[in-house]
Amino acid sequence: MIEVENLSKRYGEVSAIRDVSFQARPGQVTGFLGPNGAGKTTTMRILTGFMPPTSGRAIVAGHDVFTDSMEVRRRVGYLPENVPLYRDMTAIGYLKFIADIRGLRDGRRRARDVLERVDLVHRADSRIRTLSKGMRQRVGVAQALIHDPEVLILDEPTIGLDPFQVLELRDLVRVLGRDHTVLFSTHILSEAEQICDQVVIIDRGEIMAQGSPQALRSELESGRPVVLRVDAPLDEARALVSALPGVDRAEISADGITAMPADPQTDPRPAIARAVLERGWALNELRSVAVTLEDIFLEVAGSRASPEEPPADGETPAETPEEDEVRHA
Amino acid sequence: MHSILAVFRRELALYFRSPVAYAIAFALLLFLGVLFNGFIAQANAALSFGSGIPADAGFAPNLLTFLMFLIAPLLTMRLLAEESREGTLEVLMTLPMHESSFIIGKFLAAWAYYSALLLLSLVFYVLQSFIGVPDAGVALSAYGGAWLYGGAVLAITLIWSAVTEDQIVAAFLGSATILVLYLAEIAAIWIAGQGSSSLLADFVRELGLQAHFSVTLAQGIVRAEDVVYFICVIIGALFITTRLVETRRWRA
Repeated sequence: MIEVENLSKRYGEVSAIRDVSFQARPGQVTGFLGPNGAGKTTTMRILTGFMPPTSGRAIVAGHDVFTDSMEVRRRVGYLPENVPLYRDMTAIGYLKFIADIRGLRDGRRRARDVLERVDLVHRADSRIRTLSKGMRQRVGVAQALIHDPEVLILDEPTIGLDPFQVLELRDLVRVLGRDHTVLFSTHILSEAEQICDQVVIIDRGEIMAQGSPQALRSELESGRPVVLRVDAPLDEARALVSALPGVDRAEISADGITAMPADPQTDPRPAIARAVLERGWALNELRSVAVTLEDIFLEVAGSRASPEEPPADGETPAETPEEDEVRHA
Repeated sequence: MHSILAVFRRELALYFRSPVAYAIAFALLLFLGVLFNGFIAQANAALSFGSGIPADAGFAPNLLTFLMFLIAPLLTMRLLAEESREGTLEVLMTLPMHESSFIIGKFLAAWAYYSALLLLSLVFYVLQSFIGVPDAGVALSAYGGAWLYGGAVLAITLIWSAVTEDQIVAAFLGSATILVLYLAEIAAIWIAGQGSSSLLADFVRELGLQAHFSVTLAQGIVRAEDVVYFICVIIGALFITTRLVETRRWRA
């Protein structure tokens, strides 16, 4: 279980994250989604006890990350971005080393067990520097798993892998999600959609949306345009559809006819279908324009971008004196 | 405790696998051997003049401590600089152990490797005992002193490895620091020559490494203050290093 309340982190004047609040429940994979530089890594570093927050609270596995850091670290497995490993050690030697630091008694057995879980026993005695990127990533995951933690925090674990390795790792994360609390960051939207039970979208240090991928989608699907293709002259069809009470307006588009619903709460599709069939036309296609997390993301990011513009403008004059200084120098 | 031991074992194994460590041992033995040749020639000359054979039991410890301004930075530069450059420090700092655990573990590994070098240099004491009768008490004091001296120097150079991510910079600054501390005696003499208060000159002399070794422990004079000095330097330097690594949590 991860509970984050109003977490903020500032570096001098720059705030990396602002008032971040979310929860990650046990037995679920929570996707932490956002573009590069959104504050994902900062949040994860706070949750793993690597650095303290400026303000706010985070409870991980029942302990406060600030006041009870050691207890949190005992219960969390963390795979940092870029997977830092000791390249001069063997895979098994490295895992044994981590187990020893953690004070686990049966280190060697545990090391072997986790290597089995990530399917790397055959390379146990190879030096880490000779392993492929995907294998190293799996050694990193094994390192995070060695103490069988309640909470697993994985920072962009699929970055830099080939498509086949990405699939393998996603499967692994999904399996781990069954009996751990998994927080998993990514900037790839389709990935979050595929493996996460819950998605938290973060951008420029602020949480913009959270919920299950399905819930986020249905929330946005309402009020989305409807596209239809009929076996009839386009003009006539457009006139028919736009005259319907549930439709605000209809236009001819590349796909066929795009209709905007008048009321976001009611789906105009049944009415459209009935009207078309009553005229005796063949209805070839009738669909709501598909929403992906990509659209959701662009939508929330876009709606934030416009009110953000004035402060962005405000920054421009501040930069000018710096440029002047450079010129004088 | 188990974390210190785990880090110590890993680092020590790394020393005995790394070519640099063997190169240091080789160069050191070669250098001491060449100088020992001169020592033999001196002994021969003394014999032909009929005077007694000089049996300086502090031969190897004296030279080794002098060379520490080169050896110590090479042994410690990697220890923390590499961890922070490779990002492995982030993993260590999210494991359930205090920063001081892995810093002590790493320091002890470097000190253990240095102890091995010191043991190797015992060969010259053995050779001396073939041609003369070196004083075993002086040898014990000199080797023990060199051991403490080495610990202090390694702890100081470790600070620089925590300061910078660049191993070369860490080595260079470490080397400079040790050289300054080694030459504090000269600075003290200069200050005394300026006619200012002898208190300042004494202070500078006592701050340096040589005042606590070459004129005391290396000559077989065991003073509590010298032992305390080296132990304090070790603890103080490790404390500073720990604090420097801790600040990374706020800077990261």
